[in-house]
Amino acid sequence: MNSLTTKQKILEASIRLFNWNDVANVRLQQIADETGISVGNLAYHFKNKEAIVQAVYENLFDDFQQILSAYLISPKLTDFGIQMEQYLRFFTKYRFYLIDLFEIDRSYPQIMERWRNCIGKMLLQIRKRLDYYVNSGIICPEPAPGIYDTLTDNLWSTIVFWVPRQMLKEQPSDEAAFKQATWAHIKPYLTSKGRDEFLLEVQPIMLS
Amino acid sequence: MKPMFSMPPELYAKMLDNLSNLFFTEKLGLDVDMNFYRNDFWLSDTAVIESLQHRRGVWEINLLFAHYKTPLKFLSRRITSHSCRKKATSMAFYMRRLAAKDQRGTLSLDINDLHLSLN
Repeated sequence: MNSLTTKQKILEASIRLFNWNDVANVRLQQIADETGISVGNLAYHFKNKEAIVQAVYENLFDDFQQILSAYLISPKLTDFGIQMEQYLRFFTKYRFYLIDLFEIDRSYPQIMERWRNCIGKMLLQIRKRLDYYVNSGIICPEPAPGIYDTLTDNLWSTIVFWVPRQMLKEQPSDEAAFKQATWAHIKPYLTSKGRDEFLLEVQPIMLS
Repeated sequence: MKPMFSMPPELYAKMLDNLSNLFFTEKLGLDVDMNFYRNDFWLSDTAVIESLQHRRGVWEINLLFAHYKTPLKFLSRRITSHSCRKKATSMAFYMRRLAAKDQRGTLSLDINDLHLSLN
């Protein structure tokens, strides 16, 4: 039990360091210092840096699967809002993913494959959610073929690249601004029923 | 690393479609949907047949109420159970007499009404 806690502490410290310095620039000594243990103790839990990187990505994929499993739990628009919040928390916690993306592609192809698989599922979920909202009369039918595919891509890139975008703009990546940005993509397509639901249920949560 | 579970995108898309459709197919029923359960007037025109079944060490007494004109319209109810077969048999006999509309047993079923095919 104690060993598990130390392992978890090492992984948390590694995530923090990866976010600050990028995966390639972090040494085992830094991870040990950040965790508050010796390098020998660190080596007892993880034999090398590669093992730590793999364990961090294991956690990352578990968390991502958790978000994916929250697809359409309730038929309301707020359900999308809840999933978007989870995505924001995820991409804030693991913000090293973008800097590390090209390095991962070179050094850990199987991690990259898993990452692509998760991203593919995320895109499909957004697209299917739009289809569901069309069928339930919350958003209008697709005005022209391909519009909702583009909307899916735009929503996806806003969710995935929100944190680095705000970092580049030197602006805080707060939740309210994130929600405004994502809902701004959907709002023009809301029907009167969807607008009512948005004003009654989504807007109050966004403002809180 | 843990082996990755993956499914083809087309299959995943189908699964998401089915999940979305749950909200359209699973709707609350109406009160009238349960009328078939409440409407038990037809039970007054039924022949009653007792049935004994040995289950979990006891003899279960079931009464089968079958409409005497349309025998496929029937209802089976477990009444009680008894550990002794002899007692269960006599209990079933009296239960049937009590439940049957006409105690002389003139309401009976004709096997031909079932239109069984023995092929």
